[in-house]
Amino acid sequence: MPIIVNLDLILAERKMKSKELAEIIGITTANLSILKSGKAKAVRFSTLEAICKALDCQPADILEYVEG
Amino acid sequence: MKDNTNILTIITWVILLSLASILLDDIRQFDFNQFKEFQNWAESADKNESWFTSKNAIKWSYYVISVALFFFRGYLIYGFSYFLSILKEIEKENYFSDNNIRSFKKIGNIFIWYTINVFVLRFLLASTRKTTFNFFNELKAEFTFLIPAGLALYILAEIFKQAKKTKEENDLTI
Repeated sequence: MPIIVNLDLILAERKMKSKELAEIIGITTANLSILKSGKAKAVRFSTLEAICKALDCQPADILEYVEG
Repeated sequence: MKDNTNILTIITWVILLSLASILLDDIRQFDFNQFKEFQNWAESADKNESWFTSKNAIKWSYYVISVALFFFRGYLIYGFSYFLSILKEIEKENYFSDNNIRSFKKIGNIFIWYTINVFVLRFLLASTRKTTFNFFNELKAEFTFLIPAGLALYILAEIFKQAKKTKEENDLTI
């Protein structure tokens, strides 16, 4: 998929664990793993909003378009 | 839902067993009453007579058609048994599984093929007995409702196919 999810990078920058983020935004770690691995077909605005709020970042920091 | 599934499974089993016992009873009656008659005829039949145009062909085709009709009734019962596999999947809460889609298609196939074949066989049976075959009366017969039922199951299979895709997408929406 040409959309890359840079969640791992941001988590590392913020020194936050996946489990912690999953708990804050209210999704399961399995779903967060799907999102991180790029297997997700879509992301809800509410999830994106929660991630941005928890990590204090912009959607563009998490999602990146790479022509491929 | 589980309670309903159990009730439906029991009803399906009752229907299946009733259909199978009726079929077995019909086969038994066919054997005892008609096969003896056929054997007596076979013993006294003129063996030098040509096969295709003689009474032989008529007698043989009558019995072959009767056996084929039994076979198709068995085929229909086999089709009904797929409802059990659908109910099993529902019990496991796999509503939109590949198994269900396949089962719906198979039942639809069996219903349609059963109706077409029985229709043709009844026509052939009427011609061997030299009785009249009323096309519209046959169409009015109770078994022809299986064609719309079969088509409905085909449509249901397509709907389930789309539903499965949508469910997968929904599962992968975070």
